[in-house]
Amino acid sequence: MGAHLANKRGGRMKEIKLLYLYPDMLELYGDYGNIQVLKYRMEKRGINLIIDKYSIGDKAPDFCLYDIVFAGGGADNEQTILSEDLIRYKDNIKDAINKGVFFLLICGAYQLFGKYYKGVEGNVIPGLEIFDYYTEAIEDRTKRCIGNIVINTKIGETETKVIGFENHGGQTYNIKTPFGKVIYGNGNKFEDSEEGFFKKNVIATYLHGPLLSKNPVIADYIIKYCLERKYNEKSMLNELDDTFENKCREQLINSFCK
Amino acid sequence: MYNSLTILIAKVLNFFAKILCKILKKDNGNMLGRIVKKLNPNILEYLKIDCPVIAVTATNGKTTTNNCIRYIIENNGKKVVSNKEGNNMETGIITTLIKNCTISGKIKADYICLEVDESYVPIVFKKIRLDTLLVLNFFRDQLDRNGEVESLILKIENFLKTYNGNLILNNDDPNVARLGQANKENKNVYYFSVEKYENASIKQKEAGEGKFCPFDKTKLEYEYYQYSHVGKYICPTCNFGKVELFTEIKNVDLENMTFDENEIHYNTQANNIYTIYNFAGAISVAKIYNLDAKKSLETFKLNNGRSEEISINGIKTFINLAKNPTGANVSLRTLNEDKDEKELLFVLNDNPADGLDVSWIWDINFELNNVSRVITSGKRAYDMAIRIKTSGFDENKIEAYTNIDEAVKSLYKTEVKKYVIANYTALQPTRRTIFSNK
Repeated sequence: MGAHLANKRGGRMKEIKLLYLYPDMLELYGDYGNIQVLKYRMEKRGINLIIDKYSIGDKAPDFCLYDIVFAGGGADNEQTILSEDLIRYKDNIKDAINKGVFFLLICGAYQLFGKYYKGVEGNVIPGLEIFDYYTEAIEDRTKRCIGNIVINTKIGETETKVIGFENHGGQTYNIKTPFGKVIYGNGNKFEDSEEGFFKKNVIATYLHGPLLSKNPVIADYIIKYCLERKYNEKSMLNELDDTFENKCREQLINSFCK
Repeated sequence: MYNSLTILIAKVLNFFAKILCKILKKDNGNMLGRIVKKLNPNILEYLKIDCPVIAVTATNGKTTTNNCIRYIIENNGKKVVSNKEGNNMETGIITTLIKNCTISGKIKADYICLEVDESYVPIVFKKIRLDTLLVLNFFRDQLDRNGEVESLILKIENFLKTYNGNLILNNDDPNVARLGQANKENKNVYYFSVEKYENASIKQKEAGEGKFCPFDKTKLEYEYYQYSHVGKYICPTCNFGKVELFTEIKNVDLENMTFDENEIHYNTQANNIYTIYNFAGAISVAKIYNLDAKKSLETFKLNNGRSEEISINGIKTFINLAKNPTGANVSLRTLNEDKDEKELLFVLNDNPADGLDVSWIWDINFELNNVSRVITSGKRAYDMAIRIKTSGFDENKIEAYTNIDEAVKSLYKTEVKKYVIANYTALQPTRRTIFSNK
């Protein structure tokens, strides 16, 4: 790794700061893989990714000081505990989003940033109310949206297919700007045509797998966005060897979207 | 009458199935149980069982431990009926019992020992009496099939609320130890533990569950981790974790494959911590039934892709099953503890029995020590290749083949020691291909 860290042009090394929320609680389905992919693709390009972690009991972070904030999915009972904690930072988080900090929110975290999550027994876990979507659990506990999923999305200027895996009982309503159109799988609700929530600096989605491992275009969009925002310059990312990623995508898209 | 008739039909079917399977060289698995259950859904309740019924459940290690218990019982000169092929859902258990009963439904054995899928424990033992339940661990496994680990634990906890039989629990796994409080009236709860071994760590190395006390949600304080979330912990609020131990394994020496329990010195064939835990469970069962375990564990062979060691044209090859991150992490630990140069083959499928979701591979800790080449295979060979490359392993030393024949062919191009890890449906095809390379 050391070799990658040295900037070949001798200039000051570029640095991206990421805040990883509740790593000890929100880490179902290998969500940490998203950070590993970002780190890998940055280091290959001589960019350093600094990862700070925040969890219950830690000193309060300032969300505005980061370039990326990441949060994943968790088990139901852990979601309640951390919703109480996260709500304390509501204003700071809003501020950070308005200032353009990138937020990547997967599954449970996606739900938490909406108005509320209503559980099977009617219990309501309040959300951050940053976005005005909301989620309600399906009454039949055995029914969940589970399976491989492919969506079509336009991110930046690029149109791309995003491949992942969804596993959620919650049905998310009132999305005006979805992350993508469902080609294969369920999406925000059972047999929905739309998946996730997107705005320029926010991707909120049910896709794990993890999301970025099979979708290098999305990973690079985030990296590019952060570089341009931080260094105030158009940046061209050099191409990486994505042979495995491309073969993986080709194989999966062929088998799902016949 | 209908019950006996079902059994008679089943016996006839089984007779022909056996012949058919011999011709086709295939295992008939739980087919018989599936047919019998269709014909007679209550057949389990009808069976006449007089002997003790012992069951093992866990995320990892069910088959090994159940076979170990069966081996111990047999070595003590008793007759045992067991689902040794690992068909551990209701239909698999019906298959085993029907094959071993008389037309009147009586099972002639001194012991029945069964491995049972976690989610089937409440279903099967509503229908047959259970005397001893051994619970080894709960890890993430096929989340898309079982739902989250927590809901699985709750199912078993619910079953235990009215259970008064022997309950043997791994106290080093907080997910398991909590079950001891499901029924406060049950006086037959036994805990086992394994003393800190040389590769235990202060920090958690691999993804795990059970970070919070299940009773008051306080963060658990760990003195050390053996692997994953298994280790010595305590809840600072309610003292959860502190119990009187029934079995405590000490002086674990993986290199010489020895350990001590209650002043008995054991020589085994177990070279990993995970099997030591399985043995701790088996020894606890033996103690309850006054069976001698020492001699059995000396000769108990780990095989069928579960920590199997073979030689292919003189090339040392270790084969291991890994259905979830913990299983894979334990295999990789063994690989990393081996100082020699080696090559790794990882075979990953996403068939329904494996779980369609392969994202668990991102919970595997892929620090590889002295590995000169990695080959990935299976339906999700490319996912695996991406995973390993992202961990920092040189991508030029990774080869991916969805076809297992090509993968194995390439693997044996060199004479370096091999470590093979395969998930559930990938294991037997991988083994077959490797053996046919001999």
